[in-house]
Amino acid sequence: MPLYIVNAKAGAMPKEAKPKIAADVTRIHCDVTGAPPQFVHVFFFEDGPMPPLGDKSAMIFGQIRAGRTDAQKAQIAREMAASIAEHTGLGADSVHAFTTDTPASWVMEGGDVLPEPGKEEAWLGAHEAKLAVEAEAAE
Amino acid sequence: MTICTCMVQEGQITPAQEAALRAETSAFAERHFGTLGEINWVTVPSGNGYTEGKLSTSVIVSVTADRSLAPSQRIPLLHELEEIWRTHANRTANEVVSVIRDPQ
Repeated sequence: MPLYIVNAKAGAMPKEAKPKIAADVTRIHCDVTGAPPQFVHVFFFEDGPMPPLGDKSAMIFGQIRAGRTDAQKAQIAREMAASIAEHTGLGADSVHAFTTDTPASWVMEGGDVLPEPGKEEAWLGAHEAKLAVEAEAAE
Repeated sequence: MTICTCMVQEGQITPAQEAALRAETSAFAERHFGTLGEINWVTVPSGNGYTEGKLSTSVIVSVTADRSLAPSQRIPLLHELEEIWRTHANRTANEVVSVIRDPQ
């Protein structure tokens, strides 16, 4: 988490655009929120069921941890939509981006319940230390 | 039915693993939420899943509970769900995202 799902009309998303958009989405999310990149997931679908495309050619839907400000969410949506438009050649009005909140306490990743926004550094330190101990014990 | 959405990367889960994951996830739902899981199995096409900007090996499983859960109830369930997926999908801890949602 976050999980960003990109849905696009058939043929609207060139193969070579996907790694560029995935890199941009990861960078934008981390720049805006301060979250670590390890757990940023970006999955692409063509004519998938979610999010519904309506009259758009591409949509990006982010399930992010609750606690981000409206300004942060608006910046994420704006910059990610711009990235998709840039890398696909689609017009800006053909791309839409939005996010929904998921409480951090609902999600486990790497065997630990995710931290609340702003507490990532301490969480990552403890998480990596735990994994190191487990790896040592397994040897 | 309990809704269970399972997202996997194409080519990374064998048919036998998928069968086991479907059965175990559905049984998990029945055990804890009273009804068998309705499995929404989503395969991310090869080359279309990225984690940390690199091709992904992650699985994401999301189950909607039948009631609001306190942390003391949710955390053991998250561990159990994660263990099912670590074991049957042969993933490391960092490759499994498990989510247990409250009902809307």
